[in-house]
Amino acid sequence: MYDMLESEQIWLLVIYAIIFVFIAFFPTAFIYSMLFGWLHQSRRRKKLIAREQRVAAISGGDNIHTLSQPISMEKASIAGLVMTNITVSPSWWQLFLGNIKSIFGGQIKSYDKVLAYGRAEVLQRLREQALGEGWTEIINVRVETSMVMNKVKGGQQNKIGTLEFLAYGTGIK
Amino acid sequence: MEIMTSNTETIPGFRITKSLGVATGSTVRAKHIGKDILAGLKNIVGGELKAYTELLMEARTEALGRMMLDAAQRGGNAVVNVRFATSSVAGGAAELFAYGTAVIVEQE
Repeated sequence: MYDMLESEQIWLLVIYAIIFVFIAFFPTAFIYSMLFGWLHQSRRRKKLIAREQRVAAISGGDNIHTLSQPISMEKASIAGLVMTNITVSPSWWQLFLGNIKSIFGGQIKSYDKVLAYGRAEVLQRLREQALGEGWTEIINVRVETSMVMNKVKGGQQNKIGTLEFLAYGTGIK
Repeated sequence: MEIMTSNTETIPGFRITKSLGVATGSTVRAKHIGKDILAGLKNIVGGELKAYTELLMEARTEALGRMMLDAAQRGGNAVVNVRFATSSVAGGAAELFAYGTAVIVEQE
C-alpha cells in the first residue's frame, strides 16, 4: 500500500515537471530572445564587416558585378555558374515588434536589419566562393528572394518569417 | 567532358553554333522533423538557419546537376541563360527548378 502511493507520487511529480517545462519554455525563450537576440545578431554583423574588408584587400576592390560582359578581360577560357544561399529569420522579439508595428503601418526597422544582413552575407559568400574556386570575376550577379520552408496550411503561412536569399552569377577565368 | 553553365546569354569568348532546346532539372524536398525543431530553436534569437540553408543548397545543386545531365543527353556542351525557380508545394515541401538553353559552343 505504502509502496504504491510512493510510486504514484513519483509519476505525478514527473508529469508536473513536464507540464512545467512546457509552460515555462515559451516565456523564457521569449525573454531570452528580447535580451540576447541583438547580441547574437550584432556579433555576426561585426564578423561580416571584417570578412568584407579582408576580401576587398585581396581582390583590390570587388570581384563580383552585375554587368553581362567581363571588365578585366576580353575573352574567357572557362565559365561556370557560381551560386550560394542563406536562410534568415527574425528573432521572436523582432517578430513581435514587427507584428505590433504592422497594425499602424510604416517602416519596420526590426525586419530591415535582418534582411539587410541576409543580403550582405549572401553577396559576401559569393565573393569568398569566387576566391576559393579561383574565378577571376563573377559577372551578371543576381539576388533572388524566396519564401520556402514555410507552413502553407491555412492561416499558418510564413508564421516564423523564414526567407531564403540566393545569389548566383557566372564565374569566368 | 565538362558542361559549362552560365546565366548570361552568351559566354564571353565563345560562339554559339547550335541551340538544342530547353534543358530542365527539378527536385522536390521536404524538411525533416529533427531539422525543423533545431531551426525552431535557432529562430528564438534570429539570424541564419543553417539547417535550411544546407538543405536548400543541396537540393538546388541536385536540380542543377539534373539540368546538366539533360543538356548532355541532348548533345550540348554548355547551358546558357540559366534561371532558378522556387515554389512551395504543400506542407513545407519545396520544389527547386533550374532551366536553361542547351547549346553547342566553340571557342572563338
